[in-house]
Amino acid sequence: MKELCGALALAGALVVAGRSAAAQVQARVMAQGILVGIRADPTPERRPITEVRLSQPTAMGVASWRNLTAILTLDFEGLTIPGGELTAGAWGEGFIDRRHPHTYVHEALLGAVKWWGAGRTASGVAAFAGKGFVPFGSDDPMSRPTERYPVNHHWSQILERAVVIGQVRYRWAVIEAALFNGDEPERPEDWPRISGRFGDSWSLRGTVDPLEGLEVSGSVASVESPENRPGAGSTQQKTHVGVRYESRVKDRYAMAEWARTSEFDGFFVFKSVLAEAGWRPGRNRIYYRFERTDRPEEERLNPFRSLRPHLENSIFGITRWTLHTAGYGYSVGRGSARFEPFAEATVGRVDPHGAGLFSIVDTYGKSSVTSVSLGVRLGWNVAGHRMGRYGVALPVGHGQGHHH
Amino acid sequence: MKTVQGSSAIRIVAWVAALAGCASEPTAVPPPPPAAVVTVATVPVPANYGIHDTYVRDGIAFVCVWNTGVQIYDVGNGMRGGSPSNPVLITTFVPNSDDVPGGPQVHNAWWFHNPALHESRYLFLGQEGPGNIGFSSAGDLHVLDVSDLANPREVSVYSMAGAGVHNFWMDEPAARLYAAYYNGGVVAFDVSGTLPADLSSRVIATAMPGGPSATYVWGVQLADGALWAVDMLSGFWKLDPVTLGTLGGGNNVPDRYGSDLWVAADYGYTGTWGGVGRTGVRGDAIKVWRVSGVGDPALVDSVIFTAINTVSDLQVSDDGAFLAATAEGQTNGGLYLLSLANPAKPVVVSTTLVDRGLHTGTIATIGGRQFVFGAKNPPNPALMIFDVTGVVPSSATGPRSSAAR
Repeated sequence: MKELCGALALAGALVVAGRSAAAQVQARVMAQGILVGIRADPTPERRPITEVRLSQPTAMGVASWRNLTAILTLDFEGLTIPGGELTAGAWGEGFIDRRHPHTYVHEALLGAVKWWGAGRTASGVAAFAGKGFVPFGSDDPMSRPTERYPVNHHWSQILERAVVIGQVRYRWAVIEAALFNGDEPERPEDWPRISGRFGDSWSLRGTVDPLEGLEVSGSVASVESPENRPGAGSTQQKTHVGVRYESRVKDRYAMAEWARTSEFDGFFVFKSVLAEAGWRPGRNRIYYRFERTDRPEEERLNPFRSLRPHLENSIFGITRWTLHTAGYGYSVGRGSARFEPFAEATVGRVDPHGAGLFSIVDTYGKSSVTSVSLGVRLGWNVAGHRMGRYGVALPVGHGQGHHH
Repeated sequence: MKTVQGSSAIRIVAWVAALAGCASEPTAVPPPPPAAVVTVATVPVPANYGIHDTYVRDGIAFVCVWNTGVQIYDVGNGMRGGSPSNPVLITTFVPNSDDVPGGPQVHNAWWFHNPALHESRYLFLGQEGPGNIGFSSAGDLHVLDVSDLANPREVSVYSMAGAGVHNFWMDEPAARLYAAYYNGGVVAFDVSGTLPADLSSRVIATAMPGGPSATYVWGVQLADGALWAVDMLSGFWKLDPVTLGTLGGGNNVPDRYGSDLWVAADYGYTGTWGGVGRTGVRGDAIKVWRVSGVGDPALVDSVIFTAINTVSDLQVSDDGAFLAATAEGQTNGGLYLLSLANPAKPVVVSTTLVDRGLHTGTIATIGGRQFVFGAKNPPNPALMIFDVTGVVPSSATGPRSSAAR
């Protein structure tokens, strides 16, 4: 809660700063949430479960003044889904087969951005510091088409860290480097461990966007003990390659990524392949995602919670989740408001990947996976917002701190 | 088969039963009520991850604190004025990681008292590296020279390709070290004399009790002329202590994965592990075996606990009066003391719940009192020392422990 208060103070400061220099400040405030009913079969309770939750309730703000940019995202999942969101295959931060709630302060960053030139030949440099996304991998699933989080969330994004980022863009090539704390949060109120942990991890991401809307990126990262906050756990060596396309009017989107995480010098290796696409003709929106992702199996304290902190460096096997997710939504919103009823379905299977004591049949009763979601996306001013990239790493003209 | 949901009611019943028994002899004075377990010290350790095992002998405690190293405490030896209620740290030694991923990962220890040389020079350390439980493991056997307890030196190491070491037992008069080696089975070493830098030349026997595809040995113990082994996958085995050939047992715990063991006189007690369930069943049981005579150990009883995942450690007291068991996972982790008045039917008489449970517990008699040195699990790991004196009165019928630890 102290963290939330600090973030609200930052938000207040942004408002005051905005008023004092109203003529020069550009600000964008956004909000979203998804009221969703989910039926999943199987679950680790070996029975279908149906539940209704308010997922991804967030309030976001981006304010720019001269060369300075402030970004704040508050996430209230700790209040609306404290027990996580029913998501077969999801894991991380002490949750399993439920996607964990994020921390109350999802992002709180201050940055300085300097551009030279205009249009697609513009170059720039930027630096950001605060809590937020590490320059690694792909955009946050929250800002992507499917409601369901991918299994590879912890392989393809690094987020909610205390991070210092440096960025350089020369025309269509961007290099980002970051130092951060390796520890993941375990509760919505957790704050990154600064003392003793900040700077123990690093990342590099290179991106080229030679054609409008097209990005090709490659990332590497060394993340120290993400799953043990005091630092006793393994260092993760992470690699990610991705291709992303989004049309100028944002009615077409596609992304493909490959990620690899190695622990204990290759003793454990986890891989993921994911491809997704969305198309928005008029008020309609259709989308599809395929992913095949490895997941470590670890001790569970109950069907949906895994032991944190770990006691040692062992796992009980690796499962491989092959999932197809498709959805349709129809937007009835006007102006900045978005009101989109949607339906989404996931089918696939989970298989053992190599040897392990973890038994899929004992845990779930079967190896097939089905999930159906019906819900309504609620949004205000969120169209086009990307979460997970900052400053000059965003395409020219995206708007975050780009002034001439 | 019994289900234990807490000790209070059982203790009351036992106490009433004791009173009732005494009432039949009007001249007898009722025995004093059983003492309670008293926590006499809680020594925090760095959460890195925490303590895995503790070896106590001669008033010295070797506390295995993962990547923090092995911490050597005076807990009653006198060299630093320590006691169980006031452990005094002598030194902390961090062995080499030996290129095992994850660091030194100090897991367990055995302080070798060599009767042939009248010396207590060597401390054997187990390093528990990463593993895929049931299939792969890593970690080496390290040897420290602790002639000067305040200044240990690492003098020897043994590395087995593709497998990692776990718990030890020693035949000290024969200078033979037995090491459980998970998927590497069981390894016996000749540790007589001065040890070379590489212990490979001292390997005298190896065994894979469950075969190449079903061996993952947690622990071993020498008792009554046999080497007993618990294989997490293939059960409770009786091995020849010289050749490590199979004498009996095995493939006898199909319902759960195995964990620790203790054999005392005619009975053996084996724990069960439940990081994941076996056919959906967690490690919530202590199996009781009759081990006397030749042939296979015979299962005679099981004690079933509630709300635990794993029976993480077992030890019978030197006087044979009780079995100390530690448990972890879910809500009922902690220290359980089971009366061995009838060693074939252990009865829980004391339960001390510990948040997040205890990973191990080691019984030690110091200054005439009995203590259990417990390894409290993270997130606030600590060495917890419990005074258990008198909690379970000595019984003439209890199985005397056949080997000191």
